[in-house]
Amino acid sequence: MGKYILRRVLFALFSLLVVVMTVMLLVYSLIDRRVIFMADDVWNKRSNNEQAYYEYVQFQKYGYLEFVNYTNFLAQKYQAIYGDSYTKEKSFNTDRDAVQYENWRENASVQEFIATYEAKGYKVTYLEPIRYKDGRLKSGGTGFLLMTRERSVFLRLWDYLKGLITVETVRDVKDPELTDRYIRIEKDPYNGFFALVGSGTTHKYLVYFDGRFPFMHWHWIHINLGVSFTKYRDQEITSVITTPTGNLATRLTQYPAFVGTDRYDETAIDFYSLTYNNGTLTDQEKELYPDKYTVGKYKRDGFSMLENSFVIGIIATIIAYMVGLPLGVINARNKDKLADKIGMGYIIFTLSVPALAYIFLFSAIGTKVFNLPYTFANAQVKILAYILPVASLAVREIAGLMMWMRRFMIDQMNSDYVKFARAEGLSEREIFGKHISRNAVIPIVHGIPGSILACLVGAIITERVYSVPGVGNLLTTAINGHDNGIIVACAMFYTSLSVISVILGDLLMAKFDPRISFTTKGGR
Amino acid sequence: MAEELNTTIQPVNEDDLFTFIDHDTIESEKIIAPRYSYWRSVFRVFFRKKSNWVMLTLLALLLIGTFIIPLFCPYDPHENVTRAEYFYKSPAEAISKFGFSLKWILGTGNVGNSISYGIWSSAKTSLLLAVICSAINMFVGIIMGAVWGYSKRIDQVMLVIHNIVANVPYILVITVLVYIIGSGFWSFVFALTITGWLGIAFFFRTQVMIIRDREYSLASRCLGTPIHRVISKNILPFLTSVIMMLLTRELPSYISMEVFLSFIGVGLGATVPSLGRMIQEAQTAFLIYPWAFWPPVVVAAMLTIILYVLGQNLADASDPRTHM
Repeated sequence: MGKYILRRVLFALFSLLVVVMTVMLLVYSLIDRRVIFMADDVWNKRSNNEQAYYEYVQFQKYGYLEFVNYTNFLAQKYQAIYGDSYTKEKSFNTDRDAVQYENWRENASVQEFIATYEAKGYKVTYLEPIRYKDGRLKSGGTGFLLMTRERSVFLRLWDYLKGLITVETVRDVKDPELTDRYIRIEKDPYNGFFALVGSGTTHKYLVYFDGRFPFMHWHWIHINLGVSFTKYRDQEITSVITTPTGNLATRLTQYPAFVGTDRYDETAIDFYSLTYNNGTLTDQEKELYPDKYTVGKYKRDGFSMLENSFVIGIIATIIAYMVGLPLGVINARNKDKLADKIGMGYIIFTLSVPALAYIFLFSAIGTKVFNLPYTFANAQVKILAYILPVASLAVREIAGLMMWMRRFMIDQMNSDYVKFARAEGLSEREIFGKHISRNAVIPIVHGIPGSILACLVGAIITERVYSVPGVGNLLTTAINGHDNGIIVACAMFYTSLSVISVILGDLLMAKFDPRISFTTKGGR
Repeated sequence: MAEELNTTIQPVNEDDLFTFIDHDTIESEKIIAPRYSYWRSVFRVFFRKKSNWVMLTLLALLLIGTFIIPLFCPYDPHENVTRAEYFYKSPAEAISKFGFSLKWILGTGNVGNSISYGIWSSAKTSLLLAVICSAINMFVGIIMGAVWGYSKRIDQVMLVIHNIVANVPYILVITVLVYIIGSGFWSFVFALTITGWLGIAFFFRTQVMIIRDREYSLASRCLGTPIHRVISKNILPFLTSVIMMLLTRELPSYISMEVFLSFIGVGLGATVPSLGRMIQEAQTAFLIYPWAFWPPVVVAAMLTIILYVLGQNLADASDPRTHM
């Protein structure tokens, strides 16, 4: 069994790698890389060479290429010779301005610069100064001399995979003043439970528990799915989707220095999120905190994007399983009777009509007849805003579950064991409840982990129609906004979820049905 | 009457009723069974259901609508782009303003486009897309599935490929591909079919494997029947209803998928009229301008439901066990 699971996990990792590599190859090598500037304000404001230079800066940031600016090279060179006042040197200025003239290649520093970096595989990129006819520079027309080197997609993939998971260690903080470095389990002063606390790590609380979903929180291991290019400019996607939104949640609590005393303060700072402060502490900070972990995030009263999607999805899924499975059983019991026909009509309608059609129908009925809030943003009572999205999702899931449950029940109904049970004189109720449904539910069980994990992906149409601030539209908006970072992150996220759910589904099914075995048992 | 009958019936000599027939060796070899034609039985069972007639009539009307109406009523979504007085006119307003005509009977959309012309041109795109994509996917899927199911060596390779591709959410594949190769009818077809056939092939592979190892198939292989005859005579006839069922799932699914993808903005592009695009354009104000929103939704819903129900019934009818 263990060997089998290991093989499955390894294969899953392999397919994950293949998928992410393919997506990266497609996105980074087939699409014109300049599309990421289409909605970039900074890019639009600049012109001529400054715009082109800005492109190089961004491309370097997103890992497309590496480049060295001639000016930076000069600055380094002269600083080594003349110290910090090198900008006053006359030869520095002549060398720097050499690239603005036609005979730039004759300058000795330029030649040295080119020779140094050509040896490392860089290529010369000269952005010629752009001038008016009378010789004045156009705005943004200054000349640039760069040495550039392309990065291959495979290197980028390697970088991406390397940065995917980071584990905080006691050597993370570079501050030499910090001598006491440890990671240990301590008693959490805020809830009396246990927490993994670090000193020398970026975060103070590495693992802790609280009342908020998913109850156990990790700062220790950090998953970095990538950086957004355009939509959430340079933010990490993991933190974008997990950062709570809403108003500041101030509450009466104790600062770390006053835990155990009777001093309480009103603050919104989340003390679990404290990170190390590399600067010098203010007097106030010295009073409030016992150590240099003073930078915290604020608590907010709203859900994060991920939580929004997950809450809606999980409620709909639970409802769907609780309603869909019994309805499927009822349909199967009354095969070809009126109840079954109504059920089949419902299934055909919901599964064949585009989901858009009835989601809009729902929202029209919900807002007009029941006066429910139409969108998330303008809902007075937040709970009410969840009703329509949950209902819209549940309707389709119920239909799918009903269909499969009915199908599996009917397939089982002609089995020999059912005939035998009937011959033994068991009541129909017992046959259906205890014998058939237990066998029919096995393939359904396989889908449970998948449908729970799918809640993390969010629902595209539902979230769009009711303008839920969730993760469902992450990929589609990324594609419309040419945000390659999010696209790769989504490929990673979605694929890993579906890989995990298939493995979990298989394991759960094997747990549920003792007849299923993944290992070939040796016999004599 | 009774008396008359009594008088007419004469006692008959029993020997006159029977005549002797010579033994015929050729004739005795013939096995006489009721004439059975597979496809005639399929259609007999199919047309026995009254609801199928209704559905077929509706489908015929829709097909006439989608393929004939655009010939006479060319749809140009951008004809009134510059004329703001045409934007979002309700049917009543449009008729009173531009006069009663088929063109304005359903009002106008966000750029003054005619809704009644638009839905037919769009439905044509959707139907063509569905037919082309299903045809390609079914053709490739069934052939690959048959080979895949029959050959154990290919099975090993294909399983690995399938396991990898099946792990990628299809929305990711389609959106990324459309993003890369650009929008347009044929690039959309490409995106939908590049991995679409794998699912069909996998399903078909399992079916082929089940029948491949049945006793009668094994027997005919032992008797030396060539492979192409085993496939065409032993396996494929068994799978006609399966193919039908697959087709009925495929056709409506592409209409739904086009609507869905256009709605999220990964559609056919601005130049091709499509139901998804009409819905997407009207959805922002669907409570204020319902006439621009519901007609394309209704057409899409009708197309998918009719195709689905007809297909299911045809699949049922093509199962020989229902021919009794």
